[in-house]
Amino acid sequence: MIAEDAALFRAGLTRLLEDDGHEVCAAVGDGEALLAAVASTGPDVVIADIRMPPGYTDEGLRAALELRRARPETGVLMLSQYIETRYAASLLNGSPAGVGYLLKDRVADTDEFTDAVRRVAAGGTALDREVVGHLLTAGRRSGSLGELTPRERDVLAAMAEGRSNAGIATALVLTPGTVEKHIASIFGKLRLPASETDNRRVLAVLRYLESA
Amino acid sequence: PAAWLGSALRHLAARLLGERVPAAGSGWRATAYLVLKLPVAVGEGYAVIIFWVFGLVNLSFPFWWLSFRNNPPGVRLRPVAVFTPFGWWGQGTYHVSALPGAFAASATGAGMLLAAPWVTRAVVAADRWLIRRLLGPGPLDRRLRDLEQTRALAVDDATARLRRLERDLHDGAQIRLATLALNLGLARKKLTAVPGTEEARELVDVAIQGARDTLAELRELARGIHPPALDNGLADALATLTAGSPVPAELTVDLPARPTPAIEAIAYFCAAELLANAIKHGGASTITIDFSERMEALALVVADDGRGGARAEPGGGLAGLMQRVAVVDGRLEIDSPPGGPTRVTVTLPLSA
Repeated sequence: MIAEDAALFRAGLTRLLEDDGHEVCAAVGDGEALLAAVASTGPDVVIADIRMPPGYTDEGLRAALELRRARPETGVLMLSQYIETRYAASLLNGSPAGVGYLLKDRVADTDEFTDAVRRVAAGGTALDREVVGHLLTAGRRSGSLGELTPRERDVLAAMAEGRSNAGIATALVLTPGTVEKHIASIFGKLRLPASETDNRRVLAVLRYLESA
Repeated sequence: PAAWLGSALRHLAARLLGERVPAAGSGWRATAYLVLKLPVAVGEGYAVIIFWVFGLVNLSFPFWWLSFRNNPPGVRLRPVAVFTPFGWWGQGTYHVSALPGAFAASATGAGMLLAAPWVTRAVVAADRWLIRRLLGPGPLDRRLRDLEQTRALAVDDATARLRRLERDLHDGAQIRLATLALNLGLARKKLTAVPGTEEARELVDVAIQGARDTLAELRELARGIHPPALDNGLADALATLTAGSPVPAELTVDLPARPTPAIEAIAYFCAAELLANAIKHGGASTITIDFSERMEALALVVADDGRGGARAEPGGGLAGLMQRVAVVDGRLEIDSPPGGPTRVTVTLPLSA
C-alpha cells in the first residue's frame, strides 16, 4: 500500500506498481490513515512518504517505525525528497531486513524502483545510493577502503544498497560471475565474514562502513 | 555601582511604597534621585516628626501634666510650650499653664494625628514622583526596549517565513518535478514495448535526467533555506552534514533546552559554514563541532587540527557569519594562529 500526501505523485506510483503486476490495496495521505489501513489490509510492503500531514516533519517515518515494531513481517519502503542520516539510522536500527529508504527521484527509473519494492517485500533491503554514498565517503576518508579497486567500491556500494548478485550484475552491467569474483575479493580485503543471505551481507557491509 | 544603587533604591521603593518601577535607568539618574531626594527627605522628615510624634506628645499632655505637675499649690511654674505645625521651631504655638490647657493641647494633638496620614501621603507623593521619573526607564530606555522587542519579532518572523518557503518548495515545485520524472519513466517503459522508438526513448531519458538534475539543485537550495531535519533539533540536522563530510567530523550536542527556531537556524548555518571552511581551507584531519550551554547562552565551538590562519576578511564567509550573529547580539571569536590549530567560538542568546 501507498502513503503519500501529494495526490498526483500517489496516482503515478499506483499506476507504476499496478503496471508491474502488483496490487495496490490502499492509497492514503497521512500517518494515522497509514496505520489504520495496514491493520485492515495487511499488505506485504508499505511505501510511505516520510513527510506527511499534519505536522509535515516525519509523520511517515514515525508511523513506519511503529509498523516495524508491530508487524515486522511487513516491508517498509520510505520515500523522501531528502536523505537525512538520522532517518536512515533509525530505520535500520540494527536490522536492514525489509527496510528501504529512497529518494523520490529514483522512481523515474521504473525497473529499479520495482526491483527495490520486490526486494523490500521479500525481506531484503533497498537503500538509496546517497545514503550509501555518505557511508562510503566516511570509509574513503579513513582509508579503510583504500585497498579496493574502483570497481570493487562500486560493487560494495551496490551491496550496501541491498542488491542481490543478479541485481548488482544488472546495475553495473557485469556478468554474474564477475560480480561474484569482486564480492569474494572485497570480503577478503576487508576481512569480512562470508554471509549466506543478502541481509546478513548488507548488515556486515553497513556495520563495517559505519565503524570506519 | 551607581546602577546597583539604583536597583537597591527601586527595591526599597517597591517594598515600602508599593511603587513598582521597571528596572531601567542609568546610574547617573539614580544619583540625581539621591541628590533631589535630600530636600524631599527633609520635608518628609518634618512631616513625620511634627505630625506623628508631636501629635502623640500633644495628645498625651494631660497624662504628663498630671504625672509631673502635681506640685503643692502656690508654686508657679513656667508655662509649657505646645508644638504644632504652626509657629517657629523651638518656640511652640501657644503655652499651657493649667490643666484645662492640657486638654486643649490634647485636642490639638488629636487633630494633628488625624491629619498626619494625609500630610504624609502628600509629601511622599513628591517622592514617588521623583522615583518614577528618575529611577524608572527614561525615554531612551523605553526606546531601547522597544527596539529590542521589535528586532526579536523581525528575526523570528523571518525564520518562520523561510520555513514556510521551504515547505512550499517541497510541496510545490519539488513534488511536481518528481511526478514529472515518474510519468516520464512510465512513458519510457511503454516506449520500450514499441519497436522503432529508440530516438524517442533517448529523448525521454534526457528529459528524465533534466528533471533529476533540477531536483538535485532544488534540494541544495532548500537545504540552504531551511534544512529539513532542523525541526527535530540541531543534532539531527547536522548529522547528515557530518556524516557526509570528507574529513572525519565529530558532533556533540549538549543543550538542556532547545533554543528558539530563529537561533537554531542561525546556529545551524554557522556550524555548516564553519564545517565547510574547515574542509576547504583547513587541511585538517579531524574536525569537532560542539554545542553546549554556557552562562545562559548557546556556545558553538568548531575546531580543527589544520593549517590555521583563518581570518575574517571583509566580504568573506567569516565576516558574513559575524554580521549574521551580531543581529541577535551574538559573538564570533576566531582563534587560528598560522600553523593551526583553529578554534572558532560562536556565542548566541537562547532567543532572539
